[in-house]
Amino acid sequence: MKIILVDDEQKFVNMLAKRLALRGIEADVAYTGDEAIKKAASTAYDVAVLDIKMPGISGTQLKKKLHSLHPNLKFVFVTGHGAVDKSDEGTAENDIYLSKPMDIEFLIETIEELTQAGEFVPGSLTPQTNGRDL
Amino acid sequence: MNDELNYMNTENLKFFGKVNASISHELKNILAIISETAGFLNDLAELAKQGKELKLSLLESCSNSIVEEIQRGFTTIRQMNRFSHSVDVPVMEVDLMETLELMAGLSGFLSFASHVRIENKDKDIKTISTCPFLLQHLIYQILCFAYESAGPTGEIRLHLSTENDKGILLSFFSSTQMPVERFPDEKIKNISDTLGVEFQTNHSFYELNILIPYTCEKIQGLNYERK
Repeated sequence: MKIILVDDEQKFVNMLAKRLALRGIEADVAYTGDEAIKKAASTAYDVAVLDIKMPGISGTQLKKKLHSLHPNLKFVFVTGHGAVDKSDEGTAENDIYLSKPMDIEFLIETIEELTQAGEFVPGSLTPQTNGRDL
Repeated sequence: MNDELNYMNTENLKFFGKVNASISHELKNILAIISETAGFLNDLAELAKQGKELKLSLLESCSNSIVEEIQRGFTTIRQMNRFSHSVDVPVMEVDLMETLELMAGLSGFLSFASHVRIENKDKDIKTISTCPFLLQHLIYQILCFAYESAGPTGEIRLHLSTENDKGILLSFFSSTQMPVERFPDEKIKNISDTLGVEFQTNHSFYELNILIPYTCEKIQGLNYERK
């Protein structure tokens, strides 16, 4: 299981990646859509967690580009906005939206449902940092 | 006349809502960072209970991050407060430099915002007598117009200079070409008309200039005693 977190709020994604690593989920981070596309070109991710409003390429535009690279990639949108305009180009009725601040256990449950992984025990910490410092 | 008034009221209300929505977005981002950092501290505590080594440097870095985000939140709330009170009176003495700083800050929450640099901050620029809310609306809309071509990697420089005894010249310099043939658009023109703001063209694709009168004659009649 490998996921990519894309958000221009650098502290937010870095911290989220650390917490996911503690729960056995390997997560790469990207601060822009362009950076995410470069990483996705060389790595097969299972899930992309995308901020909707980002400078440059928006989350919904990024979804289309990542989908063309990896048709099986699953998406979760994260937003600081109260409501999501699903008429935005690139959004679909069955896309999943989570509102900030969010519960990490709920994010993991969502990822599990998307990938049908079922391999993570909620609340359990099994550090998997691949030698990196926390 | 009624149609014009209705249009202006609708546009002003939209602006007020848009700015408030962007502030709530900023605050949610701040809370999300604090929430994840606090969650990470809980994770570290849980690991320590399991006998894992707890690094003090991690605790320090987390607490510093939380303090930084709280400061960011205070700054945002101060901006929100100043913006909200700008509708208290229709006309007042307005410090133009303060207004520029506030609008640069609030428009900076937009995902397509460019970097804004305000020049000659130390210059003694007189205050002007105008409608604070409409002036904010005008500056915000012109910044958005400039952002659309400059984008998040571009820069907009704001420069104030006194222009004879008529008013203050505010210049917006962009790092990239702007579609000046579309300036001012209808929204900007309507607000400018109410404020008595004039446009000065200099045939440059990189520069927009507006002349803000020291006293806005058109709306002076709306002044009233603050209750």
